[in-house]
Amino acid sequence: MSSNYQSKKLDKKQKRCVAIIQNECKIEPVADGISKYVAILNAGLSTGLTEELVLETVEKFGKITRLLMLPNKSYCFMECSSTEDAQNIVQNMNGISKIGQKEAVVYLSYFDSLPQAEDSNWLKPLPKGLVILNDFVTEEEEKLLLDVIKMDNVEVDAALKHRRVKHFGYEFIYGKNNVDPHKPLTNKIPQKCDALWPRLESISKSCNYDFDWYVPDQLTVNSYEPGQGIPPHVDTHSAFLDPILSLSLESDVVLEFRKGLEKRSVLLPRRSLLVMSGEARYDWTHGITPRVLDVVMTANGNLSTRRRSKRTSLTFRRLRRAPCNCNFPLLCDTKLEALKRTESTIESEKAALLEEKNVHNVYDHIAEHFSETRHSPWPQVADFLKSFPQSSILLDVGCGNGKYLNCNPNLLNIGCDRSSGLLKVCSSLNYQTFRCDCIHVPVRSNSVDGCISIAVIHHLATKERRLMAIKELARILRPSGQGLIYVWAKDQNANNKKSSYLRQNKSVNKQKATEEQQRQQTQQQLEEKAKEAPVSLPVHTNRTEFLQQDVLVPWKVKNASAQQSEAEKSTFLRYYHVFEENELESLIGEVNDIKLVKSYYDQGNHCVIFEKLSKSL
Amino acid sequence: MKLSTYNFLTSKAIKGVKVGYPLKLTIAKKDVVETEFNPTFIERLLPKLDWNTVYLAAQTVDLADDIPQEQPAAVADNEELLQRLHHLLLEIDVLEGQLECPETGRVFPITDGIPNMLLNEDEV
Ligand SMILES: [Zn+2]
Repeated sequence: MSSNYQSKKLDKKQKRCVAIIQNECKIEPVADGISKYVAILNAGLSTGLTEELVLETVEKFGKITRLLMLPNKSYCFMECSSTEDAQNIVQNMNGISKIGQKEAVVYLSYFDSLPQAEDSNWLKPLPKGLVILNDFVTEEEEKLLLDVIKMDNVEVDAALKHRRVKHFGYEFIYGKNNVDPHKPLTNKIPQKCDALWPRLESISKSCNYDFDWYVPDQLTVNSYEPGQGIPPHVDTHSAFLDPILSLSLESDVVLEFRKGLEKRSVLLPRRSLLVMSGEARYDWTHGITPRVLDVVMTANGNLSTRRRSKRTSLTFRRLRRAPCNCNFPLLCDTKLEALKRTESTIESEKAALLEEKNVHNVYDHIAEHFSETRHSPWPQVADFLKSFPQSSILLDVGCGNGKYLNCNPNLLNIGCDRSSGLLKVCSSLNYQTFRCDCIHVPVRSNSVDGCISIAVIHHLATKERRLMAIKELARILRPSGQGLIYVWAKDQNANNKKSSYLRQNKSVNKQKATEEQQRQQTQQQLEEKAKEAPVSLPVHTNRTEFLQQDVLVPWKVKNASAQQSEAEKSTFLRYYHVFEENELESLIGEVNDIKLVKSYYDQGNHCVIFEKLSKSL
Repeated sequence: MKLSTYNFLTSKAIKGVKVGYPLKLTIAKKDVVETEFNPTFIERLLPKLDWNTVYLAAQTVDLADDIPQEQPAAVADNEELLQRLHHLLLEIDVLEGQLECPETGRVFPITDGIPNMLLNEDEV
């Protein structure tokens, strides 16, 4: 009975594995039959299976023509030479063999075909400007280099996830990701390295490699234990010249390159020299995933795993001592700094023009689609509206499609907006509105009990104009009347809670939105479009954190007609001034006849409730 | 535009205008939209309105006979008056027409029920 129970349990487990494969790979098991396609159900790349082990075990029982191992999967597939081979393999291994797995035995099942393999990023061309020179140093040289570097007496660095690091020539300061060229270290690059440079020069000449190079003056040595890695990064543009050289000692490792959505895995063999120049150096990030096993492509073109051992990398660089002049702006710290300096320098003469072109015109174009996407009122705004007694006069300045004009039907709700497109939407819903801008509200002073300004003031391009808008709200309020303002926050992550704006970005959920991942395929096109704006401003990448306060935010119109499918035609750039913490409160402080009642952070916005003082009557 | 909304509009933002209120309303086309009568709502609304402009609105739509020129002291018991005010302020909808600044004569058109109060940069 117990053995029957055992076999039933196994049967159940096997069925569950088959169902997973059916679902994930869209292939069908061959019920009661035999085929030459066999799946190993519970061992694969994710459980550390190697091509070598599979071949060694399987070929005792039959011949296979193809082994297919999929990344991150705990199963793999074989195409056998014949159904006889397949049958023999299954009979001898199913529920018996362990193929080097520590715990359970493996299960095998027949399938009708092999799954469609995804386009492996191993098969795509390497990033431009990336060269790997195999066997760049001999084993003897490897030993000599390790001796002079003396990593053993370097303390582990907790801040660097316990990776050991040592600098020669100049210290690389991790906090600011730069070097101080005025503080050379007494520890220069060891002379043992000198032999490498004539070698590199002669190879680059004989192979016609397309990189200029300089004898390095800075060396960072990293010592990685198996399981350690380094997050995706780009070597700071302004800190170092092109190219970056990296010598791998003691172990192979897989380096992951990323550029926007593009990904490449590159195997760095032990004793090879990696040369990153041009695009590979400036426009791709590189990093090492912290893990013990790497997935690599074998000479047969199959994926397999490789166990890491301790690895030491020598990264040789040459200080730039000047701003970067590269042609790859997206990851360029020099370019980014320049963008930050353009902040708060929007001239007042251009502010109105910028708002006209990159706010009002855009809203008129997108009114319909915008309105479709804005139907549910934010709860805390609705709560504010419900706090007023019956017959209170409520003015919504910048009412958009009027979604707040029926939150509390006990009020006399009036809305106004600059966009006639949005006002038409209000009109169709029988809401009371008029057209005006928010710095000249045509309403008599001291006349309304409440006013709200939701997502409006961040469209004004100078501090002066933002202040004028708040003064208008203060002017129209009657004494003891209250106003509520929402503006977009630069920090979309306050209280460690991602705003829904960020949450909607699934990829950001998966991996932290670092500056380096803030790229999209359309970015370049949008940068072009941004040149049409009256003021030169950076284009924000949607659903990522803001890098600057004054930005152009793309609005993509969905269901655009076929001719409009290019990003250029269907994407509009809206101007935003996103608010720093306390910036809104300090504006309120500059207005005489109101006092701050409450300020809070809600849905990625900075929000204030303020009250008109009684004495101002 | 309902006549309750009209009660709040001013042209004071125009450069040089001192009061800019009330605006001169001319109606080319209007509609009457019946809405539920709530006497308390109207009673509580009245203190928030400018009575002169309420009366002016009544004159414009030929209902001046229904509304007293001076604001009555107590209206709570005068349901008939509240009903007339309800009709005047909340049911009459001006679809086409114009508002005019009393000091400069600047005209603000009303189109499809929406007054366009937008001023040019050089007017403010
Ligand atoms: Zn650069």
